[in-house]
Amino acid sequence: MDLSAFAGNCSARLWLDPRTKLIMLLVVNIVLIGGGHSGVSTVIRPLLALLPLLLLLAEYKFKPAALYFIFIASAMAAETFLVSRTQGVLNLIIVIAAGLLSRFVPVLVMGYYMVTTTKISEFVAAMERLHLPPQIIIPFSVMLRFFPTVAEEKAAISDAMRMRGIRIGGKNSGAIIEYRIVPLLMSSVKIGEELSAAALTRGLGKPVRRTNICRVGFGPIDYGFIIFTLSLFFAWIFY
Amino acid sequence: MIKLNHINFNYENSTGACGLHDINLSINKGEVLLLCGESGCGKTTLTRIINGLIPHYYWGNLTGDILINGKNVSKIPLYETAEMVGSVFQNPRSQFFNVDTTSELAFGCENMGLPAEIINNRINRIAGDLRLKDLLGRSIFALSGGQKQKIACGSVAALEPDVFVLDEPSSNLDAEATRELKNLITLWKSQGKTIIIAEHRLHYLWELADRVVYMDKGRIVKTFSGTAFSRLPKSELDHMGLRVLNLESLFNAPLSNFQTSATNEMLSLYDFHHSYPRCHATLNIANASLPKQAVVAIIGENGAGKTTFARCLCGFEKKCPGTLYDEGACFQGKDRLKNCFMVMQDVNHQLFTESVFDELAISMENEDNDEVLNILESLDLLSLKDLHPMSLSGGQKQRVAIACAVASRRPLILFDEPTSGLDLKHMHQVAENFRQLSEMGKTQFVITHDPELILAACTHVLHLQEGKIQKIYPLDRSGTYEMLSFFIDPESIIQKKAV
Repeated sequence: MDLSAFAGNCSARLWLDPRTKLIMLLVVNIVLIGGGHSGVSTVIRPLLALLPLLLLLAEYKFKPAALYFIFIASAMAAETFLVSRTQGVLNLIIVIAAGLLSRFVPVLVMGYYMVTTTKISEFVAAMERLHLPPQIIIPFSVMLRFFPTVAEEKAAISDAMRMRGIRIGGKNSGAIIEYRIVPLLMSSVKIGEELSAAALTRGLGKPVRRTNICRVGFGPIDYGFIIFTLSLFFAWIFY
Repeated sequence: MIKLNHINFNYENSTGACGLHDINLSINKGEVLLLCGESGCGKTTLTRIINGLIPHYYWGNLTGDILINGKNVSKIPLYETAEMVGSVFQNPRSQFFNVDTTSELAFGCENMGLPAEIINNRINRIAGDLRLKDLLGRSIFALSGGQKQKIACGSVAALEPDVFVLDEPSSNLDAEATRELKNLITLWKSQGKTIIIAEHRLHYLWELADRVVYMDKGRIVKTFSGTAFSRLPKSELDHMGLRVLNLESLFNAPLSNFQTSATNEMLSLYDFHHSYPRCHATLNIANASLPKQAVVAIIGENGAGKTTFARCLCGFEKKCPGTLYDEGACFQGKDRLKNCFMVMQDVNHQLFTESVFDELAISMENEDNDEVLNILESLDLLSLKDLHPMSLSGGQKQRVAIACAVASRRPLILFDEPTSGLDLKHMHQVAENFRQLSEMGKTQFVITHDPELILAACTHVLHLQEGKIQKIYPLDRSGTYEMLSFFIDPESIIQKKAV
């Protein structure tokens, strides 16, 4: 039931243009998943992993920030110091665990940040500034709208499953994924259908230039983040 | 001016929703038209014809003309209809494109390409008119159903259409939010807007309606003027399958025998405390005793903690420290999760398997095929046993969930708003199910905003206020009076007495 994570939507403490967030998301994705443990990568990857930490702190999410720091610092430290000093199964476990954590946790946190701090109308307006066609913008904006809905539906379904005693280790644990996915799909489809009907009766799709009342545009902080991110990105590519 | 000439319609892949047969109707500017009739009588279909969703979004075979201000709605694209007709739908959860309220109010105007300055002016004016100022700049997911419905009305009003189409707008609203909806419709009426409402709950609307159209099986059966409709006797309404017009008339309803048949045993509750982060709703019940084997209606304002109470009682909230005592046996949260069954408001969330039969089988501690068949038989579900639960109608799904509750042999069954959006016939079906469960000796708790249901099937009332138990009382003569007084706006009683 706790959807407070998504309730922060309207009061992002540090306002950034959606395009800035998108650039950061892409770069963090490419560089951290792309990996590399030698040369400049040893410096660039930790620096980029700092980005999600900074953004979490800027949103006053101190507890997740602390957790994130501990995870990433230990994963990266393990990659650097432990991998070369262990052998056999232990080595394998450390390589897999540290590798997965250091690659995917920053990406997940960036995604979470993007979804929880961006208003849909801001996102649409920013994408229009990039001259993307509506065929791309509308599906992506609907996706953004759907994250909290899916979270809400999933919470209700989990409750029902707990009540019925369907859990890992209990009876029917083999079908647990099916039991979770089927109602989720059914209700998502229904909500999606009703959502489109409501949007159409409010004139979505009218072939005029859409206006917007939200703020879009780069400020000094945006430029700071973009320069920081892109310079690290190019350094990673060329060295 | 809206004109419907010889409208015939069939849905392409008809899934229960009803088509229309030879509908002729003309609606004058500034008129308030109420569409009523049993579920599946075609009133929702008719609203979709007027707002253009038929034939542009829901496909099917449509003949006849729909003219709004001289334009043929079935020929012009939806975005042109959107400028003339604003639509409010039944489900507050699924009519928002945005995640924050201010953008949602602006959404329609942004689509129309209006300049930002005009949109901001309109938002300010509408926030003032509809008293939405406190709701601006909030996350939609943090709003109650009533607040969501207000935002939906606001975002439609921002487009300044001449015609409003509302499809069962009150089905998820409590008494207070319904009164606000009524005020809103009164405001639109005074502004000279044409309003078309399809609705089951008539008590808040009949005073506003200029004309009432009664539909059955896709046809218009009768048309009443507002005053003629308000004089219809209760027996006539029952016959037509319509809900009461006057909640006050329920004061004289006879008490059924059923309502006095509960035992004197009690369940005791201790330490039911719970609060959500960043949320007003808190629950604060130090101790209470509740009647066993009774049907207890849980009533209270929005945010009084009804749902929180039910969730804690069921053991959904892990952090709630409460314990329940039943004849000396003590139930902590985890034990309650195994002894309670909640029939959720959206039953789709709790049906998992591929057939009704399997659904009951997995609910049992030890699967017993004969037992499953017996339960299905008793709830009139036997003919559906091999069907996929998702292919059933809303009422049937609810009965399957009830059957699962019976199969699980749990003594406590909770219902979360079991009759939201149901017509008279289906409401009586739910009441009948309560009676059957009572005969099996179950203790039932029902969160509801529906005084008719409480009168038809409940034995006690638990009134919550600000997270505390305000009062628990049996539904005898004075209890009935007290319960109805909660649902009926005190002002309207005074007004009627003055008249």
